[in-house]
Amino acid sequence: MVRMWGRVDLGLFVALLILVAFAAGLVGSLTGLGGGVVVIPLLIVLFGTSVPVAIGTGFVTILATSSATGAAYVRDHLSDLRIGMFLEVATVPGALIGATLTVFLTHSNLDSALLIALGVVLLAIIPGSLSRRGIEFPALLPPDATSKKLGLTGEYHDLAQDQDVPYQAHRTPPALGVMFGAGVVSGTFGIGGGVFKVLALERFMNLPMKVSTATSNFMIGVTAAAGAGVMLSAGYVNPIVAAPVALGTASGAYLGSKVLPGLRNRTVRLLFLPVIAALAVEVILRGLGLA
Amino acid sequence: MTTDPSSAEAPVVRPLPNDAYVRMTLVLRLGLGLSLALLGGGIVAYLWSNPGATSSSVLAQNPIGQYLSVSGLVSGLLAGSLGAFLTLGIVLLILTPVVRVLSGLYYFRKVGERAMTAITFTVFVLLLVGLFVIGPLLR
Repeated sequence: MVRMWGRVDLGLFVALLILVAFAAGLVGSLTGLGGGVVVIPLLIVLFGTSVPVAIGTGFVTILATSSATGAAYVRDHLSDLRIGMFLEVATVPGALIGATLTVFLTHSNLDSALLIALGVVLLAIIPGSLSRRGIEFPALLPPDATSKKLGLTGEYHDLAQDQDVPYQAHRTPPALGVMFGAGVVSGTFGIGGGVFKVLALERFMNLPMKVSTATSNFMIGVTAAAGAGVMLSAGYVNPIVAAPVALGTASGAYLGSKVLPGLRNRTVRLLFLPVIAALAVEVILRGLGLA
Repeated sequence: MTTDPSSAEAPVVRPLPNDAYVRMTLVLRLGLGLSLALLGGGIVAYLWSNPGATSSSVLAQNPIGQYLSVSGLVSGLLAGSLGAFLTLGIVLLILTPVVRVLSGLYYFRKVGERAMTAITFTVFVLLLVGLFVIGPLLR
């Protein structure tokens, strides 16, 4: 397969990249998993890119998607900039460490280890995405010392319920730990890691679902900028691959968030998850030299 | 919804002005628009100027290797190099959330939140370290 795509006309190659990325961005947006979890393994398995170039492209994809869908969240004050910025103190160093690890493994000819780890992370996302708590308006819990000191509290107007919803961050130290881990995973594999970020925001910090989603979107962009900076400067962002993928994913994600919100449901997610699982297994088999 | 009595202990927060949200929304839209325009136009021009090229040639070597330093990028742009414009598109995409952090820094400082200003400044510096220190060291 790799050899077959390796010889195709560049115009066709670019057109196929846009098409696949558009589909991934659309479905990724509808399921809330993001397009990167499909695009990165597909680049390796179907389009024959090297592992670090696929990861570098993953960062570009996240940046485009996050900015395309994030503007509305910021405009509606759903993204909590205070909480997001505070948690970036953990995710950004995590992403820098992760991206450095990826380049180090590549330079050490340990791409196969990277492939196996990528497959394992993709498989780990599946149960995480199914177990989302999804409580719209959690009861207010007492803030911890850090939350109090920094004023990690806020309020948003819920349009569906037509009410103001107050919230305050709870258990920030463990959330910071999860965010650091999410940053390492994101930086190593070029994925947004939204599943892990939303987990920390919802379950640890007790934030409402919409605030968690919007704040995670903001954080994903900043974390990806950290990883992308390292990968671009290190020479692993190839614009001939990254540009069509960014264009396709951003437009797919934008369409998903605007036109088809009614389809964001469990059924789409259950259809999408087997695709991720199959790609994860394929990636692991490649890493083991069995595919 | 229930409200815990201890919520009364929550500190008084100085909310960011609405202006901050409006400008950040503008930063996102402008950054993404400019970047995608450069990348889209750059790809079309690249295909136009490389007829008969195959994917293998592109995958074998990164065409923007010489534009990964600030001086290389500036001279490439001045020379009208296609690769330099594609690199600029990627750089703008990366800089969009960085500018968002920078505007957060401005507004936290403006409302007098010293702790949040220090936190945001730390994040901003770390982002620059990744782009200008760690990445080039790993090249």
